[in-house]
Amino acid sequence: MNLMAEILIQVIIAFLAGSLLLGLHRKVMARVQKRPGPPIVQQLIHSLKFFFKETAFPKTVSKVFYIGIVFILALIWVVGVIVGPVAKDSLLILFGVYAVYKIVEHNSGSSSGSPYGKLSCVRAVLSAATELPLFAAIVFVYMVTGTMNIGEIITYQSVHGPLIYSIPLAALMFFMLILTKSPYSPFAITKDKVLISGFETEHFGFLRGFMLFSEAIAWYVLLWVFLTIFFGPLNAVGYLIGMIVISFVTGFINATTPLLSPNHSVMTQITIGAICFAGTALMIFTGVVA
Amino acid sequence: MDFVTLGGNLLGTIRLGDIVLYLTPFSLFLFAVLLGFTVLIGLSKPETQVEATMHYLNNTEVKVGQKELKQRRFLAVICGIASAGAMITGDLFNFTLFMALVGILNIGIVSAVKQTSVLDSAFNYGLIAMMCSLPLFGGAAIILAATGTLSLAVLSQMPASPMVVLGAVLMLLGILGESGVAPFFASKAEMFRTAGSPYIVIIHLSSLFIIVRAVEILLLVLW
Repeated sequence: MNLMAEILIQVIIAFLAGSLLLGLHRKVMARVQKRPGPPIVQQLIHSLKFFFKETAFPKTVSKVFYIGIVFILALIWVVGVIVGPVAKDSLLILFGVYAVYKIVEHNSGSSSGSPYGKLSCVRAVLSAATELPLFAAIVFVYMVTGTMNIGEIITYQSVHGPLIYSIPLAALMFFMLILTKSPYSPFAITKDKVLISGFETEHFGFLRGFMLFSEAIAWYVLLWVFLTIFFGPLNAVGYLIGMIVISFVTGFINATTPLLSPNHSVMTQITIGAICFAGTALMIFTGVVA
Repeated sequence: MDFVTLGGNLLGTIRLGDIVLYLTPFSLFLFAVLLGFTVLIGLSKPETQVEATMHYLNNTEVKVGQKELKQRRFLAVICGIASAGAMITGDLFNFTLFMALVGILNIGIVSAVKQTSVLDSAFNYGLIAMMCSLPLFGGAAIILAATGTLSLAVLSQMPASPMVVLGAVLMLLGILGESGVAPFFASKAEMFRTAGSPYIVIIHLSSLFIIVRAVEILLLVLW
């Protein structure tokens, strides 16, 4: 298939699937809390609706970054789709994509001039504690498979079996990242409701539309990467079931767990990350993992 | 381990005498993003930060003055260029130099701010960065002494001896402190409370990207 057509198709799939999965996530949370909840397609409808809403620009903003940052956000997750599902290239590039995502979270908050955005920006710096477990998980995958190339990791798993069985604690570290990025997560300190919508508070109209578009793609890409590098070669049905299960599990966890304070959130993440890191390192260096 | 396994196909090298820069999709992505942000920083004007006035029902507007704006923009642009250099360098010593330069510039960007908490945070970060420059450069020196080279292309083909492992561990410690990530981020977070969003973004961006690049460099050296 033509590369450009494949990229376009994959981006559309990522947006639609990501939006529906986030809708499912909301539905699960609502049902756990004994509410009917919005329809599953509501997230998708919201995303499209914002593109047609009036856009206002607060007079306090740093305009170049305030506008530019949402396009960067959309662009980097399109790059994420290209590097992941389309090209199955290096995991390190996806790590870089995630790093830019953190920057966008940081800057979209601070560029608005709003005190809510600013606090979200400071918390984005604090929440950098999630990067180290991600980095450790990627390194462990590399140590076991000997490659960073996603295509080669899939090939390795087709021969040796899924990595979830050999390095489950590394998978848990990666799952922590997914949980952190899920809506209403106990670790979502940048979008705490005391900060209204955190770094998104001052972005309206089509700018918010781009943010929701990017969030849907980000959710899809994160789930895709997790399933690909820990659950081996999967077909479309396998991915679909896996993504639904993870959205369901994160929805259930988020519905039953209160939002942690920034310090508790960071310390919990670091503690879980450290235990998983030490456990996986022990498994690899004592020869438990071949 | 080679560049291809880690960062994708080698797209080319740029030889500047002893200094060899190399481009893979990974390094090119990081380099392009940093240059893009640097251009945006050069074009941007800072936001007006609105804060609640203590004990009154008013808002206080915090603006960056014209003179301070020019100084911070200049330092932020230099920081962006230094970080971009760290993304494509093929030399371990150059990486440590860029890293140290980024650390100094990060402090410089907020040095003219008049908020005590921000200056305190910058001072604390400066102390950690200064202490961590010893293991950073010491680690690179140990690797040089053990292998006789600082070229990443050559180091990637060599087996890692215990001294190289020690050097890499020291470098990791230095990088964590210099970039101010966990567990040292607590010293740095308050620096972001100041106004001037386009300039403080480079502090966060440079730290994160240097960590991302450091992962590749340490894997190249160790495996």
